[in-house]
Amino acid sequence: MAWLRILTRSVGIFVLTFFLVRVMGKRNLARMHPFGLVNLIVIAVLVSFLTLGYFENYLFGLFALGVWVLAPITLDYLALKSKRIHDLVRGKETVLVKHGKIMEENLLQERFSGEELLRELRKKNIFNLTDVEFAVMETDGSLNVLLKSDRKPLTAHDIGQKVAPQAEAQTVILDGNMLDEPLASLGLNRAWLKTEIAKAGVSVENVFIGQVDASGDLYLDLFDDAIQIPRPRVKERVYASLEKCHADLAKFALETKNAAAKTMYAKDADKLKEILNELKPYLLR
Amino acid sequence: MTVSSQVKQTLATLEGAQGILKLYLTQTQDKETKAVFEKAINAASGIIGDLQARIRVLEREENQYKGF
Repeated sequence: MAWLRILTRSVGIFVLTFFLVRVMGKRNLARMHPFGLVNLIVIAVLVSFLTLGYFENYLFGLFALGVWVLAPITLDYLALKSKRIHDLVRGKETVLVKHGKIMEENLLQERFSGEELLRELRKKNIFNLTDVEFAVMETDGSLNVLLKSDRKPLTAHDIGQKVAPQAEAQTVILDGNMLDEPLASLGLNRAWLKTEIAKAGVSVENVFIGQVDASGDLYLDLFDDAIQIPRPRVKERVYASLEKCHADLAKFALETKNAAAKTMYAKDADKLKEILNELKPYLLR
Repeated sequence: MTVSSQVKQTLATLEGAQGILKLYLTQTQDKETKAVFEKAINAASGIIGDLQARIRVLEREENQYKGF
């Protein structure tokens, strides 16, 4: 009967640890700062001891487990309330490169050699030290780098191009199931979704993943990879129609002999051109 | 004088494009995008009005092309 006892104990402790780990939260476990790692190892050891029944009274083990789980959580809350405790618990970041110059004393303080600094930079695809404007070592030991402005990757802001604001795409179909919550957040419903899928010529069961982007276009991925759904090009087509209208208006302005009509066509052509320029970031990019 | 059928074609294309813009207007949720689309739709309405007036004039003069 010993094996039955171990089985029930293992399952029970498995469930308990699962909930405890969820309570501890994402931050605590992903963060690899030294004490966090030690914390995790101690919890793991305690849990295995509990499962194997190494404690004379398993309540002692649960007690110890409770302390090691609750203490970091309490420290985190206290760190949120007071900056001093925050600095004590987490430590402060160290600046390693400022204004392009390496701070050698800080490097010494972190026991980080120049070689290691260069290696960490290479990990971020930075091979020239001169490109670095600012580099800081975070409390968990990772390095974060700010490049000099002329070495940063180009953004639309730098070129002065207007780009339409894009919200995130919502996944509305997963594994053939329609998800109501994302649809509702977009102000759509299942009827709309069914119509759109019918328009694409497939049925709901064929769809593996479906996403709706910020402007309301539906993109589908099907189970059968042989079928190709053409990417909806509605926006590009609207832009092209408007361009055609503009060209037509300009042509009419040249062809017509009626002076009033000529001015009307020319004015409308200009207005349309202006509209086209405004719509470009929203329809094309 | 421009042939009225050409003007009617342009009118139809413009109305079609305006219809799709109206559809996108209801589908987007971003205020900035909505404002730009509304402005475009209003401008298109103005041009459609001008074109329709011109077509009426043309139809009076070219009686054989009357009607759609």
